[in-house]
Amino acid sequence: MAKHETPLLDELESGPWPSFVSDLKQQAEVRAKNEKGVEFQIPQDCVDDLLGVLELSYKHGRTHWKHGGIVGVFGYGGGVIGRYCDQPKLFPGVEHFHTMRVNQPCGKYYSTEYLRKLTDLWDFRGSGVTNMHGATGDIILLGTTTPQLEEVFWTLTHDFNQDLGGSGSNLRTPADCLGQSRCEYACYDTSALCHFLTNEYQDELHRPAFPYKFKFKFDGCPNCCVASIARSDMSFIGTWKDDIRIDQDAVNKYVENDPAYPANAGAHKGKDWGPFDIEKEVTGLCPTGCMKFENKKLTIDNANCTRCMHCINVMPRALKVGKETGLSILCGAKAPILDGAQMGSLLVPFIEVNPDNDYEEITEVIENVWDWWMEEGKNRERLGELIMRQGFQKLLEVTGIEAMPQHVAYPRTNPYIFWKEDEVTGGWERDVEEYRKHHLR
Amino acid sequence: MAFISTGYDPGKPMENRITDIGPRDYNEFYPPVIANNKGKWSHHEILEPGVLVHVGESGDEVYTVRVGGCRLMSTSHINEICDIADKHCDGYVRFTTRNNIEFMVDSKDKVEPLKNDLASRKFPGGSLKFPIGGTGAGITNIVHTQGWIHCHTPATDASGTVKVTMDALFDDFQQMKMPAQLRVSMACCLNMCGAVHCSDIAILGYHRKPPMLDHEYLDKVCEIPLAVSACPTAAIKPAKVTLPNGTEVKSVEVKSERCMYCGNCYTMCPSMPLADTEGDGIVLMAGGKVSNRISDPKFSKVVVAFLPNEMPRWPSMTEAIKKIVNAYSNGANKYERLGDWAERIGWEKFFSACELDFTHHLIDDFRQQAYMSWRQSTQFKF
Amino acid sequence: MSSDLLNDKEAAQKAVVDWLEKKAGSKTKFYIKDFYKIFPDDKPREIKKVVNKMVENEILEFWSSGSTTMYGLKGAGIQHSSEGEE
Repeated sequence: MAKHETPLLDELESGPWPSFVSDLKQQAEVRAKNEKGVEFQIPQDCVDDLLGVLELSYKHGRTHWKHGGIVGVFGYGGGVIGRYCDQPKLFPGVEHFHTMRVNQPCGKYYSTEYLRKLTDLWDFRGSGVTNMHGATGDIILLGTTTPQLEEVFWTLTHDFNQDLGGSGSNLRTPADCLGQSRCEYACYDTSALCHFLTNEYQDELHRPAFPYKFKFKFDGCPNCCVASIARSDMSFIGTWKDDIRIDQDAVNKYVENDPAYPANAGAHKGKDWGPFDIEKEVTGLCPTGCMKFENKKLTIDNANCTRCMHCINVMPRALKVGKETGLSILCGAKAPILDGAQMGSLLVPFIEVNPDNDYEEITEVIENVWDWWMEEGKNRERLGELIMRQGFQKLLEVTGIEAMPQHVAYPRTNPYIFWKEDEVTGGWERDVEEYRKHHLR
Repeated sequence: MAFISTGYDPGKPMENRITDIGPRDYNEFYPPVIANNKGKWSHHEILEPGVLVHVGESGDEVYTVRVGGCRLMSTSHINEICDIADKHCDGYVRFTTRNNIEFMVDSKDKVEPLKNDLASRKFPGGSLKFPIGGTGAGITNIVHTQGWIHCHTPATDASGTVKVTMDALFDDFQQMKMPAQLRVSMACCLNMCGAVHCSDIAILGYHRKPPMLDHEYLDKVCEIPLAVSACPTAAIKPAKVTLPNGTEVKSVEVKSERCMYCGNCYTMCPSMPLADTEGDGIVLMAGGKVSNRISDPKFSKVVVAFLPNEMPRWPSMTEAIKKIVNAYSNGANKYERLGDWAERIGWEKFFSACELDFTHHLIDDFRQQAYMSWRQSTQFKF
Repeated sequence: MSSDLLNDKEAAQKAVVDWLEKKAGSKTKFYIKDFYKIFPDDKPREIKKVVNKMVENEILEFWSSGSTTMYGLKGAGIQHSSEGEE
């Protein structure tokens, strides 16, 4: 028998999509029965109360949670989000219901052995409710009391070799696409770089050093499956410098509509779009028009290719990314709050990804950017906003990167260039007396 | 419920403390076929909705069955995932960026038993536990935020709006008949802790009323300077207020017309709640993308300024989303993303094709970028 | 190179505490940048190290809004009671 009636939430049990309400009810029941004999460290009926307070929100159309800023684990400025219920008398099981962010492994692969240890811990010391995963990438453990925070952290670090993720004015938990682990498009090992930088910058991840949040995301190719270009202050996107590799025989298999060579790797199988037409679907859609298919031969003018991935996506068995691979760094992406959304702006068109020297070229760019932002960024100013305020030229200056046309979509449309004195021959100090010799007052 | 200690001593927090160890090494979690072929994959194919094969240069194959998952997930459900992974996948499983779950097997004969197992599991209420799909030219899982389950500033629920939207779009989760992939995202307030601003369709919770002021308690539970400085639009200032009983207290006043309803003040000060039954609801945005494929990444545009919260199943919202999806599905060319389609036909035609009203709220008036969105041309369609 | 003030651990900590105590009348939580004023000649990275060490030494504590983190003297302010924590 459920502790609280939930007539509104019950309406979310029907329909084909997995019902979180059914899942929470199952969890409430598992805790009530407690067949495993868990010595619950937070109220056994907390999931019943979670359903109860959610039902109340469905009735009111308003949230019943309050923020708490004081809770955390000792010495870390992030990784825990404090939450208190604003109806603790009605729902005592969720009176204190804090969130812990656990740094996910790169690529989000797991062994069941690890996951079961984690679920056992969270049943024991928390609500048994999670997010797999939060928007930034962490494993989110949803709901525990203040005294349990240190205990969970202790077990994670001592027994699971596992640390928390970031929140607050920290480096946020970096996240990557699955990269070369299972994708032929990946131009670098996203997981290796993500893991290295996460470890390299543990201090920045746990102890606030920044004016605001800072996010790294790693995409293996310009398809951008983790959306780094839209939602990370520094976005690392795989790319290549040389030629797209072409297997002409395979190209012709696509052209001949060989069933083993479905267009777009089979992504359009659900509808009859007619026979594959390479001119209409590939060369005709190429944004730069740099491809031709003539006499059964595909040619690409690689110097004019902008590596949008379309042709490779359509014919993955015939076209491969180049061999001279690396990544582009884009800076400043953020959601609209406050001055409007920003997409990442290209800072480094191409950089080598070299684990042998600890990615030295990459960390140099990162640290130059951080030094500038830490010095100049206002409270709660994202990197993108600082770039807007002080200018992209300033970003180039602090990173020591030469301006190049790749940096802009088009050059400025106003001539209001604020010249620096040393850029103008002779400087700004002039002799007005000398001038007056030739120009009467 | 006796407190069981790990050995942590609150009096000596630094004793035997382990910190700064980072995440687990991903190499420990790769299934053998992944570890063996990493960086040496030749190509892949989506065999049917939700089922992929990746072929290594070695000839090795890994078959992936992708299923939809709820981001809000219990340990019971995770344990069931582990049971399946133990039974079929040698004890390995992976999650995707979009809250899907991927079960991988290393030969084709293992795919059908895995699929049958997954498809057979249902919750008592009737919903599927592990719907197979979410690949190719279809609609995959929705990334979202916490909503009423855990957040203090949401303007709507997240898990509920996502559930009803995925129910409404479910056919397209399990099929691949759209012109291109269509990504839906959800954030429960304008702070967008799930960044939804570059999605084909974005569901956004939105408040429309400035915070209430609990003058009697404000100075007792909040530090006024912190509440003042929390406001991104400088709408809050300290004020002396006389309560109905005649006492004068320190409090704040809010310049309502400057308030953008972000809730940052409520984060700092619990005496400034802003949630409201009628004020809060949903904004729909459309036409964004993050991929660089064919066209540049682009931001989503607001296409429905406001819909009320209609608990528990938000019918007006799902109806509007269905209209957008259908119009796009019927109108776009193969490979064309929603935003590219809208730009090709023109946004004026987007509204008629989707049968959505255009209202004055959809014309940008926020700061300097607004100008960029007005029409500076005589080229338009009647 | 850090300033003499920052290099002298005790003096640096005292400067931070004095500054915080002076401000305590109006507010008790501060952004990392606010501490830059105490050490005008030092790099943010070095200041951050000192301030975070003070958290470890239980002189300061964090307060997080979720999106930003602030610093205050341990136990100062009214957050603890209004959050229902002792």
